[in-house]
Amino acid sequence: MAEIYPINIWINEERLSKLQRAGLADMAEEAFAGLKKLAVPTNDKQRDAILKKYPMAKFDSATTKSIELLPREVKDKIFDMVVAKKTLDVMDSFLASI
Amino acid sequence: MTEVNNALSPHGGKLVDRVLEPAKGREKAKKAKIKLPIDGSRATEIMSIAYGFFSPVEGFMGHKEVDSVCKDMRLTSGYIWSIPITFDISESEIKAKGLKEGDTLLLTYQNQPFATMELEEIFSYDKTLMAQKVYGTTEEKHPGVKITYACKDRFLGGKITLINPPKINPPFDKYWYPPKVLRQKAAELGWKKMVAHQTRNVPHTGHEWLMKGAWFASSADAVLVSCVVGEKRAGDYIDEAIVLTHDALGQTGYFRKGTHLTSILLWDMRYAGPKEAIFHAIVRKNLGCTHHMFGRDHAGVGTYYSPYAAHEIFSQVPDLGIGSVLTLEWWYCPVCGEVTYSGLCGHDKESQAFSGTLIRSIIQDGVKPPRLIFRPEVFDLVMESGEKYGFGSPFVTSEYLAKRNPVITVPAMEV
Repeated sequence: MAEIYPINIWINEERLSKLQRAGLADMAEEAFAGLKKLAVPTNDKQRDAILKKYPMAKFDSATTKSIELLPREVKDKIFDMVVAKKTLDVMDSFLASI
Repeated sequence: MTEVNNALSPHGGKLVDRVLEPAKGREKAKKAKIKLPIDGSRATEIMSIAYGFFSPVEGFMGHKEVDSVCKDMRLTSGYIWSIPITFDISESEIKAKGLKEGDTLLLTYQNQPFATMELEEIFSYDKTLMAQKVYGTTEEKHPGVKITYACKDRFLGGKITLINPPKINPPFDKYWYPPKVLRQKAAELGWKKMVAHQTRNVPHTGHEWLMKGAWFASSADAVLVSCVVGEKRAGDYIDEAIVLTHDALGQTGYFRKGTHLTSILLWDMRYAGPKEAIFHAIVRKNLGCTHHMFGRDHAGVGTYYSPYAAHEIFSQVPDLGIGSVLTLEWWYCPVCGEVTYSGLCGHDKESQAFSGTLIRSIIQDGVKPPRLIFRPEVFDLVMESGEKYGFGSPFVTSEYLAKRNPVITVPAMEV
């Protein structure tokens, strides 16, 4: 099975409100006793494309195996796509849009 | 190879002290006829040599020394040393200044006399070989290799003397403890055992527990937090936030008074993984530490080194006279309901690992991390530091890089 490398989108009040309005509050997973996140999956090709496009982002290869430090506006765009499409499987569409 | 006792503390048996009082420094400067401006990285390396952080190294390395360090991980004297300390220069600068072996150079920084160098050697070295030997790779995307390849084509070797000690600017001044000073302070506090924690990060509770675990494991009197202050990359925490938040762990009682001290080490990280771990051990031994904690992926970058490469290398070197506390990671476990040690917690599937990068990501998203993984006092201070020192951001921006208050200021000196 191919490895999955999530982009963690941490849920602030604004994002929570959008999820609730779309009836998607259950899509957020709990983390660290008090946080909520959307873990948007990427495969290795999508991960590499994201890291190339946004060099300030970091793949945390040592600890979490997740893509972190994407600019907030990029995460907002991915988040809005998740809400509009009602699925976490948005990375092909996102990459096609940039 | 000469047999030496690597366990001696300081490394080599004697703390290097090559710092002159300004009056004597001025006299020495007058004898140096050739002025050579240096950059911030050379300036801080000169400080580290002169104040004894790099004992027994007394200057920038010559060809034999660099070759020995690269190929054998030893100085020519036989003492273990893992990272070359070099002074690069271009052929055109050598010609323009008329540099020749035997000269005494006046090194200037911030347009002021700063140090002298007895020029013993002008040489070339194969930078690809240096990269391969020190970093285990020749890929330029490795930040240490990038530093190596960015070196100009020639090198100067020779002993240095700091003739105009710089002022350490706030907020770093409170945390500047050269080895002699720190050893004196530890003696006054009655600390017989001190365990070092190397950091370039704002502390989350995983770091806090690493330090506390190392304190237990080494039966130490105190934890010395040694914050690396040096070259920054966009998106890193600003240096001021790192230093102040570590100090805050002691000030707000997460460490009992007298068990925790924050200090700075002026050094541009090379991300040399296991080789840098050896270097860190030697520098902290020189500071008077009896132990050094090494966690997962110490001084690593990307996937160049195995997560515990820094642990493995200590079995390949002689006793360095500083105990290595080799530790696994601390994670959050929702079953245990706490941050707990991965070597003891059996809830592997449920465990939630976290890292400094992940915490930065949470903060960048405008979310306050829960206190179980990030102390609220630390969070507040991170944000305050961003306002006070980071032009509104606790993370390094191009504005911070261009306008930040310098860590050191060289006083005016008439020569």
